[in-house]
Amino acid sequence: MTPVLEARSLAKTYDTGGAKVMALRGVDLAIARGEFVAIMGPSGCGKSTLLNLLAGLDRPTAGEVRLDGERIDRLSETDLARLRRRHIGFVFQFFNLMPTLSAVENVELPLLLVGRRRRDARRSANELLRELGIGDKHAAAPVQLSGGQQQRVALARALANTPDIVLGDEPTGNLDSAASREVLGLLRGARDRGQTVLLATHDARVAAAADRVITLRDGLVSDETKLQAARPVALAFERFERT
Amino acid sequence: MTATLVRLAFAGIRSRALASVLTILLSSAAAATIVLALEVGATARDPWQRTFTAANGAHVLANVPTQADARAIAALPGVAERDEPVPIAVARVARRGGTERLLLAGLPARINVPVRTSGSALREDGVVLERSFAEALGLAVGTPLRLAGAGGPIELPILGTAISPSQPRFPRSNTGLAWVRRATLERIEPDHSRWHWTQAIRLANAAAAPAFAARAAASLPAGTASVATWEDQREEALRDAQPIGIILTTYTILLLVVVFAVVAILVGARASAQHREIGLLKAVGLTPRQVSAVFALESAALGLISVVIGFAIGALLAPRLAAPSAETLLGPPTTAASPWHLLLAGIPVLLVLIGSARSSTRRATRYSALQAIQAGTAAPGPRSRLARAVARAPLLLALALGLKDLLARRHRALRLAVAIGVTGAAIVVALSMNATLDAQATGAVSDVPDELPVLVYTLDAVLLLITATTLVAIALLSVRERVRELGVLKAIGLTPGQIASSLVGAHAAVALLGALASIPLGIGLYVTVYAIAGGSGADRVIAPWWWLALVPVATVLIVIAATSLPARLATRIPTADALRYE
Repeated sequence: MTPVLEARSLAKTYDTGGAKVMALRGVDLAIARGEFVAIMGPSGCGKSTLLNLLAGLDRPTAGEVRLDGERIDRLSETDLARLRRRHIGFVFQFFNLMPTLSAVENVELPLLLVGRRRRDARRSANELLRELGIGDKHAAAPVQLSGGQQQRVALARALANTPDIVLGDEPTGNLDSAASREVLGLLRGARDRGQTVLLATHDARVAAAADRVITLRDGLVSDETKLQAARPVALAFERFERT
Repeated sequence: MTATLVRLAFAGIRSRALASVLTILLSSAAAATIVLALEVGATARDPWQRTFTAANGAHVLANVPTQADARAIAALPGVAERDEPVPIAVARVARRGGTERLLLAGLPARINVPVRTSGSALREDGVVLERSFAEALGLAVGTPLRLAGAGGPIELPILGTAISPSQPRFPRSNTGLAWVRRATLERIEPDHSRWHWTQAIRLANAAAAPAFAARAAASLPAGTASVATWEDQREEALRDAQPIGIILTTYTILLLVVVFAVVAILVGARASAQHREIGLLKAVGLTPRQVSAVFALESAALGLISVVIGFAIGALLAPRLAAPSAETLLGPPTTAASPWHLLLAGIPVLLVLIGSARSSTRRATRYSALQAIQAGTAAPGPRSRLARAVARAPLLLALALGLKDLLARRHRALRLAVAIGVTGAAIVVALSMNATLDAQATGAVSDVPDELPVLVYTLDAVLLLITATTLVAIALLSVRERVRELGVLKAIGLTPGQIASSLVGAHAAVALLGALASIPLGIGLYVTVYAIAGGSGADRVIAPWWWLALVPVATVLIVIAATSLPARLATRIPTADALRYE
């Protein structure tokens, strides 16, 4: 079966003022449809770079990125933007909500981008916020929301178009345990609905909620572990909090 | 500690090089505008004084019917120096479409003598023309002048041109003037009873001129004489500069409104960009007062550079702009370049810059160090009614996004609209002035100095340049402030084209509102300026609607051109880099 997302010999080198920094040195990985994968590793190992390349937010120095078997690393910026609208949702560590838009306007943005009618998009966005437990905050500006609430709005935005893949770059990195648990639960919910989830994290508790954990070190895949059948998120957390 | 604060201030200037350069550019324009207004006032007055000195001008000049009346006035007490009475006769000079009345005067010997500007001095069988008369009728030195006097037609070679402090610019309700030898005058007007006489007097005390003039007028039968003091002559000569003065004053006010609106935008943007830096400075141990001092120093340094540049530009341009008003007078105007002007231009510019920096830092220092560091740039304020209306309006997604962002900083949007509205109004004034001049009968000698339209167009170009630069600056700042947000929008799925059109479209929409408001504003301004300049409402013409319609159309085109480059830059920032931007 063709993996939904695939990286082949993926490499990325940054030129930082003359000095070359090799963030990825040839990563191969394949993510199956409906899989929940966590990418772990210490700071600077290339987790965020890998996620950015897989989402088409950055261009690789070498190698390929394939979505449903099609190469996407050579697409134009416009084609990549159109592809992300329908197929990829992204959740950031620092939420990255548009500060000039309300919560519901942030969520309806991807819906409007794929051509949904305004009224229809607003209804769907409100429903999504209600499902995530922040329906009463629909008119609030991002600055009026707590970190956990902001991340739920960001998650609602990422899930709005029911994308094939949800990518998260340390989505719980800025949240307390309770909020982290809620966000992970929501991501597991997406996975249970058949969406593919790929998270970068350095938090073992978060990785414990995944089906598979890929460990990066110095820009290379150093380890890959398939976890037992999915455990409830709360259990995964409790287990790690005890240790 | 002071040295550290100074070092921090200069580091701040360097780190925000673009905003610093733009602040200097536009604050210089503000300072230059103030200097220009002050210098033009001074330089326009100076040439008349020099002409008066060169001509050994008359403190009192009496125009009387007989030579005996002239001698009676010269015999009054208080006279320090008197000249022989000068005869004057009327002739007509042929010009295209008819004849023009011309006063032919004898040559004064010592007082109020004509000051030569071209050609040679007066000799027998020749004529020296007053310069503005020669220019208005296109009469060149060396060509013959055909005169029709009581003594029959006569042709005289034009020997030269000259100016006189007592003769205002032709035609401004004023007959032309030429100087001839007495023998020539007798050939043109043999009947001495048709001559008038002028008596030029210099007094020991120039301030006593009004009292002497009153005594002189009283010594003659009522209504037979006209007596002018040196102050009357100066007022009459400078009245010619009145339309230019009114236009300069109007444009100075318009320029100041635009420039200060623009400087306020830049200072606000700097403060917003400094939000995080303020948090960092507090975190390393600076007190709120020291933080304020750093930013005040930064603004003061930029302000001082701007004032010096602005003063140099203003002093350089002033003689050129004053030239039209000085045209009737002697030589090129000198630059006054008074240190007071530097001070008068410097104080408001520095006050605005330092004051704005202080108020923004006061706002920013209210946040805790941690809040400021975490928040990065200052968050936009609560959404305005207009922004809420935009959110409800059925606009294209990209335009709605751009407008919501622009209107989130409503002071900035308002100032931008004001700058564009004022610039548009100035263009409406120029178009209406052009329409009024076009409506004048062909061949008519206009009272409006030729230089006035050129001056108005030049000032319009300056305003346009400042506004276009502002647009580029604001669009660049907008991109810089929103790099991360633009990255997020791209990550969500906005195409580069949508990103660019959101930026360009929002600025064009705000500019369009300003441009539409500028039409009634400009018409009102033109009507007011025309009335102040003493023009009759019957002669005033407002630019036709299809000219006026060009203002919003051209505005949108200029905005698109000015914001396209920043918009292009916005699309070129790699998404991953934009998401990492702080």
